Amino acid sequence: MPLQFLILIVLAVAAAILSVLTAIVVVIRKTIDRNRAKTQARLYQIYAARCSELLLTDLPPLPVDSKPSSLFLQYESLIEPTKRSLAGMVATRRRVHREALQQVLVDFAQDISGDSSRRLVYFFYTLGFVDEELRLTKSRRWWIRANAARTLGLLGAKKAIAALTALLEDPHPDVRHQAMQSLVKLVGPDALRTILRISRNLSRWSAIELSVVVSSFKGTAVPYLIEALRSRDQSVVLFAAEMLAEIGLVTAVEPLMHLIRTTIDTTIQAQSLKTLGRLGDERARNLVADLLKSKVQPVRLSAMEALGKISGSEAVEMLKPWLASRLQEEKLVAARALATTGVEGIAVLRAARAENDELTAAIADQVLEEFGAQREEA
Amino acid sequence: MEALVDLILNSYLVFVVLYFIGVNLTYTVLLAISVREIINHMRHDRFSNYRLIVQSELTPPVSILAPAYNEEATVIQSVKSLLKLGYGKYEVVVINDGSKDQTLAQLTAEFEMYRSRQVYNPRIEAKPVRGIYKSRLPEYKNLVVVDKENGGKADALNVGINVARYEYVCCIDADSILEDDALQKVMKSFLEDEHVIAVGGIVRIANGCEVVNGRVVKVGLSNQLIPVFQVIEYFRAFLSGRMSWQAVNGLLIISGAFGLFKRAAVLEVGGYKHDTVGEDMELIVRLHRFKREKRQPYRIVFVPDPVCWTEAPDTVKVLSRQRNRWHRGLLDTMLIHRKMFLNPQYGVIGMAAMPYFVFVELLGPVIEFFGYLAMVVLLIMGSLNLQLGILFFIVALFYGVMYSVGAVLLEELSFQRYPNPRDLALLLSFGVLENFGYRQLTAWWRVKGIWDYFRGKNAWGSMQRKGFSTSKK
Repeated sequence: MPLQFLILIVLAVAAAILSVLTAIVVVIRKTIDRNRAKTQARLYQIYAARCSELLLTDLPPLPVDSKPSSLFLQYESLIEPTKRSLAGMVATRRRVHREALQQVLVDFAQDISGDSSRRLVYFFYTLGFVDEELRLTKSRRWWIRANAARTLGLLGAKKAIAALTALLEDPHPDVRHQAMQSLVKLVGPDALRTILRISRNLSRWSAIELSVVVSSFKGTAVPYLIEALRSRDQSVVLFAAEMLAEIGLVTAVEPLMHLIRTTIDTTIQAQSLKTLGRLGDERARNLVADLLKSKVQPVRLSAMEALGKISGSEAVEMLKPWLASRLQEEKLVAARALATTGVEGIAVLRAARAENDELTAAIADQVLEEFGAQREEA
Repeated sequence: MEALVDLILNSYLVFVVLYFIGVNLTYTVLLAISVREIINHMRHDRFSNYRLIVQSELTPPVSILAPAYNEEATVIQSVKSLLKLGYGKYEVVVINDGSKDQTLAQLTAEFEMYRSRQVYNPRIEAKPVRGIYKSRLPEYKNLVVVDKENGGKADALNVGINVARYEYVCCIDADSILEDDALQKVMKSFLEDEHVIAVGGIVRIANGCEVVNGRVVKVGLSNQLIPVFQVIEYFRAFLSGRMSWQAVNGLLIISGAFGLFKRAAVLEVGGYKHDTVGEDMELIVRLHRFKREKRQPYRIVFVPDPVCWTEAPDTVKVLSRQRNRWHRGLLDTMLIHRKMFLNPQYGVIGMAAMPYFVFVELLGPVIEFFGYLAMVVLLIMGSLNLQLGILFFIVALFYGVMYSVGAVLLEELSFQRYPNPRDLALLLSFGVLENFGYRQLTAWWRVKGIWDYFRGKNAWGSMQRKGFSTSKK
């Protein structure tokens, strides 16, 4: 017993010491972090003031026939003292100063344009930030690659376009997303073609991230989205169909109709039908009406929803039989579709309230309430 | 005879010491996994732009389900706070579970509710619905109040799931305070992985925090002892326990105070079980069971930073009832799903998570409690092996101190919600102090919970809500 006892005591004490040491390390780390944050804040202020000066300094006008390098020489003369001061520092100090300077430049880059923006891009290159970040895009750690991809976009480094395009196929989704955002910043809407062509198995999150980019381009993005309807990847096609509905340009109607006719994927058919409904173009009426007979319920439901939006009063007779469906969900979708057709559909629903089938009557009542028709009636 | 008793009790103490060492090792492993997971989460979070969830039209809408029973003191403020969350499209469904006070009257008056003709589709069986109400005011058009006969929280949630319009349902307590971005953060897990069927967020204690208009504006610790002890317990449970189990898809509980589910998955398993007091845990275990039996890919996830604040009991009496109920719920769930226990068909759930919950969480307090009892008896008999006694105390106390301090440090390394250094020092001290009395007390309540369970006591026990309307409690 004494030996085991001793071993256990020693183990318990060792573990207790370990806990205490960890606590001490945490406290020390917190103190260091706090001091570092203070230093960074101070340096940030210093470099922010210096950068403002660099950007606001008036440069002598260049002759019309001067070479482009003359402009760069002027920029170089502005940044030269800062470069010299950094070169004179010891490695650790230089690293801290460069971090602060880079942060200032990145922050400034987001708010300025014109000549000041060109100056900033030049500073990024000449201070070696672009090359540094390009090297980091090859890091083994995903978060470093993601950060490099983001920073390169913020730096406006066109030199990084090839590296960022390569990162679109990175195994980590965060890296892919940062590369995508940066490419869009550097290239504009044309980057969408590459992004949509390369994208595979888009998660909902990636689709949401991409949707914000696409929405910002509005109509300019439509040709790329139509092209993406031909993708072999289901997630990309669904995304393109959803975004076409959001943007709402009727140029998408024919490609969507073609897609519905040619695909055997019922999820894509259902989504495309919803998009056609939102686009509300009459050209799609016959195709949508045909799909009311689909054997796949989600396709039927999407067709009902779309028909109500596309056809107006002409859809009433086609939708009416679905009120008698045995499935509650079908009754409800048909009732809502009828309500969207207008006065005639509303009249059908009002009449349905007197039906013997209690469920149909109740659903008609609910939908009338949803569409405010009941209160108007009252 | 005396020698036999002496031998049995001393042997039991040796067993308890070995048990504590085993538990310590388990906790160390859990803590290590949690550290890794939290660091990964924070790295990932740096690149997450949650505003996108609010901005994008592709974000799926959510139905927030808030069951309310006699919540007249807090219901209006809670609902108003829920209606102001930072999220795209969502509805708030308040289920009045046959309250005997003015809960329903207050809601209908404040939000100008009218009786809607919405068709109720009871896909999960539950107590009858007396009416569905909607607001006449356009600013509250996403509020639905369901009035039903009393049937308990689980039954109310089942009605909420039946009424919910959207694909995702967020189950919360009516008095929970969700942070503005909480819904965005839990939703992200679903959006990143289509196999995710449920996500839980961290629940923190609001006692001592400053609450203004249903929002926690300043985080702090309560002046009372009981809530501060619970802060440490919540750290242990959420930051260490749940974070580590979710890493291996072995999460067995998502707190009833805040969880987001795929509605279809909950409907598939028949919703909440209404005849258990641990309905939140039981649902999660049933989801695991169903998915594993059907061999369908799935994940149940815990996200450590979407915060839900809740009012914790501040008296020994209420706390004892709560712990008693939690333990009965745990026991009930383990017995209902005993088929999964040590059954390789259920993978990590059957072979690791359930054995952990049975041997550490469920039986731990019993083993500990009888350890103290054996010590006292041996002391009275004068035959306590001194070395063993010292060892027992060292290991028993250390086992709590290490895990509690570790959990506080984990919070400090990651989210640092308590900015005041005084609070951090206080939490670390309480992590040590709780092992001298508080832990033994909770062990006793849990032992009593097991006893009550086998005696057929199945009550919930009530907690008088004081409301968050006062700015600082």
